[in-house]
Amino acid sequence: MNRTVLFVALRQLWERKLLNGIAVLGVMLGVLTLITINGIMQGFQQKFLINIIKVSPHVTIHDKELRPSASILARFDGGFVVTSVSHETPSDRQLRIHRPFEIVRSIEQMDGVTGAAASLAGSAVLAVGSKQYPVDLRGIDPDRQDRVTPISQFVDQGSYRALSASADSMIIGVGVARELGVKVGDVVRCGAALGPTMSLKVVGIFDAALPPIDNRRVYVTLRTAQILLGKPDIIGQIEVKLADADRAGEVREVLERGFGYDAESWQEQNANFLALFKQQNMIIGFVVGAILAVGGFGILAIQIMIVLQKTRDIAILRSVGFRRNDILTAFLLQGAIIAAIGAVAGDIVGHYLVAFLGTLKIKQEGLVRSETFMVYDDPKFYVYGALFALAVGLLASLIPALRASRVEPVDVLRGQIG
Amino acid sequence: MIPPPSSSRIQHLPRRPWPEPGPAILQAQGLTRELGTVVKTKVLLGIDLTVRAGEFVSLTGFSGSGKSTLLYLLGALDKPTAGSVLFRGLDIAALDDDERAELRANAFGFVFQFHFLLPEFTVLENVMIPMLRRGKRSSRDAEEHAIRVLDSIGLLPYLERRPSQLSGGQQQRVSIARAVANDPTVVFADEPTGNLDSKNGILVMEAFEKLVFEQGITIVMVTHERTFAERTSRQIVMSDGQIVEDLDQRGG
Repeated sequence: MNRTVLFVALRQLWERKLLNGIAVLGVMLGVLTLITINGIMQGFQQKFLINIIKVSPHVTIHDKELRPSASILARFDGGFVVTSVSHETPSDRQLRIHRPFEIVRSIEQMDGVTGAAASLAGSAVLAVGSKQYPVDLRGIDPDRQDRVTPISQFVDQGSYRALSASADSMIIGVGVARELGVKVGDVVRCGAALGPTMSLKVVGIFDAALPPIDNRRVYVTLRTAQILLGKPDIIGQIEVKLADADRAGEVREVLERGFGYDAESWQEQNANFLALFKQQNMIIGFVVGAILAVGGFGILAIQIMIVLQKTRDIAILRSVGFRRNDILTAFLLQGAIIAAIGAVAGDIVGHYLVAFLGTLKIKQEGLVRSETFMVYDDPKFYVYGALFALAVGLLASLIPALRASRVEPVDVLRGQIG
Repeated sequence: MIPPPSSSRIQHLPRRPWPEPGPAILQAQGLTRELGTVVKTKVLLGIDLTVRAGEFVSLTGFSGSGKSTLLYLLGALDKPTAGSVLFRGLDIAALDDDERAELRANAFGFVFQFHFLLPEFTVLENVMIPMLRRGKRSSRDAEEHAIRVLDSIGLLPYLERRPSQLSGGQQQRVSIARAVANDPTVVFADEPTGNLDSKNGILVMEAFEKLVFEQGITIVMVTHERTFAERTSRQIVMSDGQIVEDLDQRGG
């Protein structure tokens, strides 16, 4: 590129500070929006994912789902003439994992595994006085389980250790405690569909800042859960924690092949949330894209106007020896420079805005509980914003630039001179 | 009509005999140009013309006689419908757009009726830009040269002014400086005095004459003004797209 072309482009840009300033502002707003919306959205999503990864197992092994066996009717399809079968009952086989502790010990030997624990999950109801509340009951081996899902970190009232000390104790989520109005030391009656009712003492309350878990989860010892749920000696699942959560997919496959049970990664368990996030991000992409496109239209409109005003000057430049490409380059350069300045300004303002939003006190309750705006300041977005703005700027100035490059000096001269 | 120049300056101008013209520099052969896309109008009807080095040619004729069109074709601003224009044996009509731009940058200079300076740039920058685009001089060299040229034309005090801050005559002299700064072989002028009062018109004419005498530059000028046309070394009169008279005025 010729330096003179750059010089001419810069001067003409500078001489129209107001118009080009407006175009810069449009781009800046687009980039700013991209950074802040993504910062907020990613802040929320990342916080949720981090918490989920922290408190959930990365891979869960459970018995193969019992599929209802094919109906008797199907077995005789095309043979006897049977129209209906009454009182078909499902199999009474229990979902369980055989020799669970051997499996746990061998999983613990695997590379990249930081913990494995056998547990039993089921539905139970807690009752205090006349108040009842359904919960998600987990019978755990407290020491092993804490290496997989570090509940002890989140126990802020009572103690996690106390769970192993007594069979009649339980640790409940902060939401469960609030719902029932109980505190550490209170005794709560607990029962499930197939087992006896037991009175258990609350020894700890945990707060993982994840309402879906805090509001439902109750931990008891494995043996207590087996009695409560009426499943003596049964282990329903084995949960595994990995050093690298992203490897959950491959580990899942290894475990499935190795032990012959079904396994599920945390991504699969949270598939609905991840799908939701994906959709959220797509919507954000559209919105931000639209805003940047509007910024692009700003450049387009202003540049077209400038080209119309400047036909005479273009004719002059062409007559003194500037080529079509020089004119094209000059206008593309102007678009690119507008976009670049807008992008840098948007990046800077966006950075401060994200930082400011992070200090705002806003109570949030939902998938994640937080006292402040959760923001995620990722340099990636600054680069994306800048690149996108540059592309929009170049694209928007392409039409005016092409138009400018097609100006025939002779047409302009004839028009002026008659 | 502008009254014939009565300023005393024209009388003081030395009427030197015109130099003997050199070899042919521009040769038009059967030059035809049609304008319009739907209804085609023949503006030039097969012009044959040879301009020789060091000539100061004026093209005169009524409006619509095709003189400006001929000028644009000779100056490689436009392409003929038929025929050829040879510049030092090179057929301009066969060149593509970029090559013609390059030719204009390297060999031609232009002065138009309206000053046609770039409003965002200073006088000095306006004169420097074609030189910088051509890239034959360093920017420092270009600046020095531009200052020299502007000085020779009496514009030294106005280097840093914008064109809008100058009078019409001064603006036109800046465009002459710009046309000349790139050391052109031929300067094309399209009614350079058309927008000026007679005093400034004479100053512009003197500037052109100086170019011919002192630098041996060839000039082709379209003009309406009889007095100026008569002062050139050769006057070509056009009518309806054809040359009707070709007057050698070297004798004065």
